[in-house]
Amino acid sequence: MTRSIALGALVLSSLAVAAAYVAAIVSGSAPPWAVWALMIGTSTIMLAIMVLGAGRSGSGVGKLAVPFGAMFAVLLVGFGAVLVMPDESATSALWFGLPPRAAVVLYGIGVLPLFVLPIAYALTFDSLTLSEEDLERVRAARRKP
Amino acid sequence: MALAQTSALPPLAQPIISAVAIAYFAIVAAIGVWATRRTRTASDFFIAGQGIGLWTLAIASMAATLSGFAFIGGPGLVYSVGIGAVFIILPVSLTNSMGAWVLAKRMRLLAEVRDMITVPDAIGARYRSPLAQGLSAVAILIAVIGYMATNVLALGLVIDAIFGVGLVWGIWIGTVITLAYSVAGGILAGVYTDVFQGSLMALASVLVFVYVLESGDGLSGISRTILGADPGFLGPWGKLTPLAALSFFFVFGLGSLGQPHVVHKFYMLRDPRRLKWYPLVMTTALFVTLLLYVGVGLAVKALVAGGAMPALERPDDATPVFLLRFTPLLLAGLVFSGVAAAIMSTVNSFMSIGAAALMHDIPVALGRRVGNELFWGRISTVAISVVAALVAQASGTLVAFLGIFGWGLFASTLVPALAIGLNWQGATRAGAVSSIATGLVVTLVFETLGYLKVYTVPAGVSIAGVSLVASLLVFLGVSWLTRDGDGSVIDPDIKLVMEI
Repeated sequence: MTRSIALGALVLSSLAVAAAYVAAIVSGSAPPWAVWALMIGTSTIMLAIMVLGAGRSGSGVGKLAVPFGAMFAVLLVGFGAVLVMPDESATSALWFGLPPRAAVVLYGIGVLPLFVLPIAYALTFDSLTLSEEDLERVRAARRKP
Repeated sequence: MALAQTSALPPLAQPIISAVAIAYFAIVAAIGVWATRRTRTASDFFIAGQGIGLWTLAIASMAATLSGFAFIGGPGLVYSVGIGAVFIILPVSLTNSMGAWVLAKRMRLLAEVRDMITVPDAIGARYRSPLAQGLSAVAILIAVIGYMATNVLALGLVIDAIFGVGLVWGIWIGTVITLAYSVAGGILAGVYTDVFQGSLMALASVLVFVYVLESGDGLSGISRTILGADPGFLGPWGKLTPLAALSFFFVFGLGSLGQPHVVHKFYMLRDPRRLKWYPLVMTTALFVTLLLYVGVGLAVKALVAGGAMPALERPDDATPVFLLRFTPLLLAGLVFSGVAAAIMSTVNSFMSIGAAALMHDIPVALGRRVGNELFWGRISTVAISVVAALVAQASGTLVAFLGIFGWGLFASTLVPALAIGLNWQGATRAGAVSSIATGLVVTLVFETLGYLKVYTVPAGVSIAGVSLVASLLVFLGVSWLTRDGDGSVIDPDIKLVMEI
C-alpha cells in the first residue's frame, strides 16, 4: 500500500514538473504557478523515491515515516516561505548572519536535513534496511543459483 | 558536480605554491605505485577487489562527486549570481541519504549475488536485457568523454597557472599523471588517491572558510556589506529566476542518483553492513568541503561591494584572487593542490567507468566477452583519456558544451532505469530501454540545437531537467503499458535483492 501510494505520488509529481517546464517553454517564461509546481513536484519526487527505496516488500517504512514527513515538511514549508516572504532590503534583519529568506534556504533546506536523515538511516539500519539475516539470505541465493 | 573550469586562471607560479603542488603530485604518485602492486585482477582494477572500508568509500565518493568546479567555478558563480548558485549544492543534505536508501544497499547486494563490475551490469541484470545494458553504456561513454574533456582542460589550466608551462603542456602533464596511476593501479589507485585528495579538499576548505569569516568581519558583516549595495544578491534566488534556481535543485538533487562514477563505488565496499554510517560520513564530508564554495563567493562580493577590492575581471578569479590576497601562501598552495586533487579524482573515476563501458558492457551487449579484461581495461583507459585530452586541447566552446550535458545525460539515462527500476518490480525492460533512449535523444537534440543556436530554451528552463522528467514519465508510462509482457520478469536472485 505504501509503495503504491509512493508510486502514484511519483507519477503525479513528475507530471507537475513536466507541466512547469512545458508552460515555461510554450509561453517563453514561467507563469507563477509553474514555480510552485516545480517546487512541490521536486519535493514530492524526492520523498516518493525515498519511500520506494526504504520500503520493503509487503511492509511500509515503519518509523521512517517521521523523518520522511519532517523532510517533506521542511522542503515544502521552506520553499513555500521564501516564495511568500518579503524581499530583502539594506535594513533586513539577519538570522544567524543571513537575511531571513537566505537563512531559510541555507540553514533550513541546506543544513537541517543533515541532522535528521543520516541519523535516521543509521538508527533504523539494522531493523529496516539490512540485518545480518538479510545478508545471509542474499549470500545463500548466490550459493544456490 | 562535474561542471568544470574552462577559462584561464591568474598566474600562481610562486615557489611555495609550486612546492606544495609538487609535494602533492609526489604523494599521489606514491599511492599509485603502492596500488599498482596490489592490482592483479579485473576485479581489483574496476571495483577495488570489493575490499574497501566505509571511510574510504565515503571520502572517495565525495572526492569523485566534486570536481574543480566546487573550488573555482562554484565560488565564481556565487560571486556573480548570489544565493541562487547555492541551489546546485543545496540538495547535498538530502541526496546521500536518498542514495543510501534507494541505491547503496541494492547495488552492494547485487554484487553479492552476481559478479558485477559496472552500473550497466546492474541494469542488464535487473531487466535481463543486454540491450538496456549496452544502451546505458553508450550513454555513459558519451557523457564520460565530454566530462573528461572539460575536467582535463581544467586540470591543464590549473597546472599552467601553478607552473607556467602553457595550457597544452598543462593538459598533457595532467593527463599523463592521472593516467599513470589509473592505468597501473586502476580504481584501487583511484580510491586511495581519492581518500588523500578528498581529505586535502576538506582541510583546505575549512581553513579557507576561517579566512573568509575573518576577511568580512563574520557572516553578519559580509551580509550587511552586500545588503547595503545589492540586497537582491542575498535573496533566496540571487540573480536567477525562481524557476532556474529550483531547476538546479531538481536536476542536482534527483540527478545525483544517476552518477555512475559515484554509484558504482557501492560495489567496492567490503562489508555491506558498514553502509549504516555511509550517509552521515559522506554528507558531513561534502558539507565541510563545500564551505569554500559558498564562503569565498560571498566574501569576495562583500570585499568588492565595500571597496576593499576592485571588481573581478572574470567571476572565476574569485578563489585565486581571494587566496592570494587574504590567506598565507602555504594555504593557497594547499587549495590549488586541492583543486587539482578534485579534478584528478573525478577524471580517474571517469577513466574507470568509461573503460569498463567500452571493454565490458558494450561487448556484453553485443554477445561477446573480452578475454583479458585487466589488459584491455588498461588499453581502454589510455584510449579514452587520449581522446578526452585531444578534445580538451581543441578547447573553445565545444568543450564547455560537452561538459554541460554530461550531468544531464547521466541523470536522464540512469535515474529511472537504475534508481527507480531497482525499487519497483513493476518496471519493465521496454520501460527501461525507452527511458534510456529518451534521455539520450532529448539531451543530445536540445543541447545540440542550443549549441548551434537553432533553438534555445527559455531562461530558467534546464535541458537536463526537461530530459530527466521526460525519461521518468516515459519509464513509468511504458512500464505500465507493457506490465504483462515477458519483459516484466525478474530473475529470482535479483528479485530477492529488490525485496530486502
